[in-house]
Amino acid sequence: MSEQFSRRDFLKLAGLGAATTAILTGCGPASRYVKREPYQQMPEYNSVGQSTYYATTCRECAAGCGLVVRTYQGRAIKTEGNASHPLNLGKTCARGQATLQGLYNPDRVTDPNKTGSAMEWDAAIQVVADALKKYKPDEIAFLMGMAPDHLFDLVTDMANATGMNAPIRFGALGMFEARATLSKAAETLFGQAGLPFFDVGGAQVVLSFGANFLETWLSPIPYTRGFTGLREAKTKLRGKFVQFEARMSATGGKADEWVPLRPGTEALVALAIGQIAAEIRGGAMPKAFSSVDLLDVASKSGVKLEALEHLGELVATTNGVLAIPGGPALGQSNGLAVAEAVLALNAFAENIGKPGGVYLSALAPNQTEANRPASAKEMQEFVEKMASGAFKVLFVHGVNPVFELPKSIDFKSAMGSVEQVISFATFPDETSAEADYIFPDHHGLESWGYQRVATGTAQPVLSGAQPVVSPFYNTRATADVLIAAAQLAGGKFAEALPYKDEVEFLQTKVSSLMSESDGSFTAPDAFTFMAYFQQYGGWWKNTDARLSSGTSGILNANISAEEAQFAGEGEFFFVPFVSPTLAEAGANKPWLQELPDPTTTVMWNTWVEINPETAHELGLHNDDMVKVISEVGEVQAYVYLYPAIRPDTIAMPFGQGHTAYGRYAENRGANPANLLGGHFNEAGDLAFAGMRVKIEKISSAVSGVGLSRMESRMGVYGEALGEEH
Amino acid sequence: MSDNKHHADAAQSHEEHLREKHLMLDPLPRGRMNEMVMESMMEKPTWKFWLVFGFLAFVVVYFLFYQWGVLIVKGQGEAGVMRPDYWGIFLVNTVFWIGISHAGTFISAILRVFKAEFRRPFTRAAELMTTFGLVQAGFSIFMHMGRVWVFYWLLPYPNQRMLWPNLHSPLTWDLLAITTYLLSSTMYLFLPLIPDVAMARDRSTGWRKNIYKVLALGFRGTEGEWTHLRAAMNIFAFAISPVMFSVHTIVSWDFAAATRPGWSSTIFGPYFIVGALHSGMGAAVVVLAVIRGTMKHMDYFVRGEHFDAIGKLMLIISMAWAYFFFNDYMVQWYGGDKWTQQLLHFHEAGPLGWMWFAMLFTNIVLPWAILWNPKWRANPWLVGFVGIAINVGMWFERYIIIPISVTINRMPFTWRMYTPGIEVPMGIGTVALFILLYMAASKLIPLIPVWEVQEGQMAHELKKFGRETVVSVSELE
Amino acid sequence: MIRPEEIKMSTEETGKWGMVIDQDICTGCQACVAACAMENNITFVGEEDAGYGRSMHWIRIERFWEGEYPEVKMTPQQPMLCQQCGHATCEPVCPAFATVHSQAEQLNLQVYNRCVGTRYCANNCPYQVRAFNWRDYQRPEPLPNQFNPDVTVRRMGVMEKCTFCIQRIHKAQDKAKSEGREVMDGEFTTACAQACPANAIVFGRVDNPESLVSQLSHKGHGVKHLEELGTLPNVTYFKGG
Repeated sequence: MSEQFSRRDFLKLAGLGAATTAILTGCGPASRYVKREPYQQMPEYNSVGQSTYYATTCRECAAGCGLVVRTYQGRAIKTEGNASHPLNLGKTCARGQATLQGLYNPDRVTDPNKTGSAMEWDAAIQVVADALKKYKPDEIAFLMGMAPDHLFDLVTDMANATGMNAPIRFGALGMFEARATLSKAAETLFGQAGLPFFDVGGAQVVLSFGANFLETWLSPIPYTRGFTGLREAKTKLRGKFVQFEARMSATGGKADEWVPLRPGTEALVALAIGQIAAEIRGGAMPKAFSSVDLLDVASKSGVKLEALEHLGELVATTNGVLAIPGGPALGQSNGLAVAEAVLALNAFAENIGKPGGVYLSALAPNQTEANRPASAKEMQEFVEKMASGAFKVLFVHGVNPVFELPKSIDFKSAMGSVEQVISFATFPDETSAEADYIFPDHHGLESWGYQRVATGTAQPVLSGAQPVVSPFYNTRATADVLIAAAQLAGGKFAEALPYKDEVEFLQTKVSSLMSESDGSFTAPDAFTFMAYFQQYGGWWKNTDARLSSGTSGILNANISAEEAQFAGEGEFFFVPFVSPTLAEAGANKPWLQELPDPTTTVMWNTWVEINPETAHELGLHNDDMVKVISEVGEVQAYVYLYPAIRPDTIAMPFGQGHTAYGRYAENRGANPANLLGGHFNEAGDLAFAGMRVKIEKISSAVSGVGLSRMESRMGVYGEALGEEH
Repeated sequence: MSDNKHHADAAQSHEEHLREKHLMLDPLPRGRMNEMVMESMMEKPTWKFWLVFGFLAFVVVYFLFYQWGVLIVKGQGEAGVMRPDYWGIFLVNTVFWIGISHAGTFISAILRVFKAEFRRPFTRAAELMTTFGLVQAGFSIFMHMGRVWVFYWLLPYPNQRMLWPNLHSPLTWDLLAITTYLLSSTMYLFLPLIPDVAMARDRSTGWRKNIYKVLALGFRGTEGEWTHLRAAMNIFAFAISPVMFSVHTIVSWDFAAATRPGWSSTIFGPYFIVGALHSGMGAAVVVLAVIRGTMKHMDYFVRGEHFDAIGKLMLIISMAWAYFFFNDYMVQWYGGDKWTQQLLHFHEAGPLGWMWFAMLFTNIVLPWAILWNPKWRANPWLVGFVGIAINVGMWFERYIIIPISVTINRMPFTWRMYTPGIEVPMGIGTVALFILLYMAASKLIPLIPVWEVQEGQMAHELKKFGRETVVSVSELE
Repeated sequence: MIRPEEIKMSTEETGKWGMVIDQDICTGCQACVAACAMENNITFVGEEDAGYGRSMHWIRIERFWEGEYPEVKMTPQQPMLCQQCGHATCEPVCPAFATVHSQAEQLNLQVYNRCVGTRYCANNCPYQVRAFNWRDYQRPEPLPNQFNPDVTVRRMGVMEKCTFCIQRIHKAQDKAKSEGREVMDGEFTTACAQACPANAIVFGRVDNPESLVSQLSHKGHGVKHLEELGTLPNVTYFKGG
């Protein structure tokens, strides 16, 4: 099926090739856009024409999936996955589908402005140029979104040439994925940093310690595809999937066995399973596993000894065991030990660099070393520098730190210590509301660019982006603004960015790939190469470039078998998780708001998940309003009696609780980041799951007020049916 | 001698007693009776009348028509309907009002066919209920439509697409049945009205005379006119009875022909008809009690014997309803379908279980407890109270059948409780309109079919056989 | 109008277009729901109405719970959409012929501009997959720019439901016809199937024994929902591993 489908797309794309080439040769930036006929002003007697399809890259998260956007008379009307893109093979997630609701969002920043009053772009560029000129390079800081894209390269070039601070990338997704921890653990395993890639599809048994790989984790589409491979295995039995977590995530909901261990004991459980497996298999006990006492683990983790033994047997006797660390398991004080313990299981299963095992993700084309987004610790240092006045001007692009950072890292007040904050936000978010200037960038579908694919595919991929519609508003590409400002500023800045515009910069960067061998396409000249790059939606190598030579030294390492430390007081462990449908930036898209959460089916709001037994003891009911109190703050949300959460744990989704960000996001739900304290693990990731919290009932449920659920409480939970409850 | 006198006195008092009790045996001169009917109609409305009238008019304008405008402009979202309760109180009211309308036909047609003499003074009041009730039913069903402005698409009118209504749909049958019923019952209301309007024409002046002149169609009371009129009324009396039965059967098919648990029941047809008569008789008795209590001379026409007779009917209908209810419940429960069983359990033990029990109480327990007693049965206010209670219970029954039953379907993921919205004021509006129309009618047309009473009185006579006084009825027609 | 002899016919045939949904690999990620909404100009209704059962989803993902903590399990996600019944209960009850059977495509069509809003079809749908436009929901400018020109934008008071992306079926058929060939299996697919990251939804011709969807649907452990009602649904579900 996918074969034929990809051919269809290919035909469509091929038809575009010539036209795009024509556009690219010898036109200025303004004419590089397709002409848009607004729907409302369609010429009379207009007959229904053919749609045009453009390949580009999805900007809804940092994964870098390829999109093919259907446009009709200059309007983008549907996004589909790019079938030839190695990362997502024609598939999209809900956020990718809803990207058009960002493009056509009624609450975009329409003009460059100074705290609300519109200004001309010339003046705006002058402001940027002045800022570059006025301050010393090391007083200029750049904060960007998580995606390793062309803008990051441009700013890096600028920083390298001028001595400006290197740009910092950050995103809440990376924080909740604990990317720094993963990267560091990978270093132990592979000898070099980078994101590990877990070949779920090739495995026979998957043990996931908190990794929500079917939701937002690293690159959900390839992992979902892997899950399909696990379940639909053609040559082997249906694979088994075991999830270890205190609160059943959407991923855990698909598990054959769900093990609700006590938060903080993931490392112990992993090591215990390893110990049992090693015993069953015989031979020398690996040093890594020897430090735990099984009975002790069973009592601490709440996982019965028989269950541990059963899992150990599974690991010892099955070929194709794969263990994945992720999510809340890593976001704890002992997160690094958890990652190492889990990776040690892989080493024990001897799957490093083998199908169904763990690889180190390939470096993207044009990339010399892995480059991860900043950890929360690094962000804290960055914010401290801001607060100390070390930065005189701060540029913010593609990230909303005021909303995303934990409360303990006070970005908002630190912004006050920076003389000039210039935001390039497309949407009026919390950070841009505090900025001195907003010089809005285009929406992703209106922009040029490329993006490195950090993980998720065997091939190194540089995903290409091009505008599929001409810009709706008086926005301008940030790269263009920076290039123009650098020219104005002159000196080293002008030298660093000797380009006419963004497109020329892209051509320069992309055409450097022409000399690479084994690429997905070749071209006789730079222009044609660039045209193909746009047409196919990127350039990738045809070979598997994942690093597959791991060291088994991890089995002999000393892995700490300590439990995690929990900060704060309160009777509950607290598990914040990223909303699978909204993620960090989806709240302003009405259809994402109206998608039911996969586990709770709640729409348009935030909830607190509590075990029904616990709730019963506390006298809490569905839709009661409660206050969750941590050591640093408190938030209010409705109670959701969630049957699949430990009685000593409560959980909240991250993604709502905006105070700005447009009509669909504003004043809706609560932001659990406001509960998070400044505790980090050894790798510098936030111990977001290392908190203890209290809850207080504020008000009882009122009929007709409460969470909007897709599910029927009567039909699913038997409420009000005259049954016992 | 004294013994004889005593007997004579006793006979005298027995005769008086009979006259007092039975309207048919208590004749008044024709002219006097006509006058009484005219006076009751022409009586100058008191300020109380206008107060109630004004209040109801306000309720109708604001709750019914203004809210209907809101509903049309803002959409059905103003009502409480949603998935899975796509049907709500609007359809409850539709069924309810059609049910009420059944009593009119039952009293005036079926009792006429079976020559139940006690019907005579209140056939008109009952027939008005039919017509006015059907108006409310029609309004209610149009309120329910998502796009009421294209209601005519449901009618079989010639159009260039050659598209006709779907004759497979019970709703189309419904529309045809209700339309037929409305037209025929209106005609059937009109036919017996002709002699009375003619009588009123002869006794009124001014605008009234002009109206009555037109309505009376030149009726003079000749033998030929009477023959024709009787023939027409007889035909209608026979013809409208099956229409009445078919209408509520078809209404029941809206539910019975569907594939929902709790609905697809083969006994719904007769069950609905008996239910309709139950609420209809209840409503009729309320109307009679109100007429008797508020209008001049009505205590002459409407007497305890009438409440007694209707009370007996109500008791029998209540028993029949109980039988059908039990039968329906039993068959559905015995069917063993898990969704239906869930639904039956939900009826009694769900959040609105009280409604289910209240229904059983007002529809069965209360009538049985009160209407057994002949003395209580003759008390207008007590029987009227039972009538109101039965109507509440029957409304509950329809509420249980529609919004409560559709809560439970075969997709438990969608189950949801219905919370009414704009339906409540609009439903109150239909009640107000019903009463308003009745009040207007009481001032515009003779509520008592005076010719029919006179005809009955002519046929009745007290005869003495020795010492016994017996009632003799002769066949007139 | 379906005549009795046609009903008999459709009992013998199993339809034309069909779908196979593998609940074992459906992750409940809602990509299909979003894709469907984007493709078919489905409106969002806001928090209050969505919570009151008025959301317009043409496809919804159902999940239940089994057992109690700690032995609790989420039942396999069940995407529920119009089953495009061969003998649909929604069709005969519409008084206005707004919901009719397509003889050519063997689909249940909803004729929006014929619908008068009696909601009988939705009441009678055992799958509860029809969505009614309870209000004229607001889509502020410039959101309407997104409208797919191939799909009618519905207004207040009409019923709507999954069409198996009939606009895509027609496009593919037109294209095949102009190229003088038959539509190939997998040449196009519905928006939900196209988006599904897990490939849990497969769409195609069930009357072509060669097609992927018919091969899958005859795999044996497929289930058709509420088949016992005689609705002849055209969506086959695989419940679990």
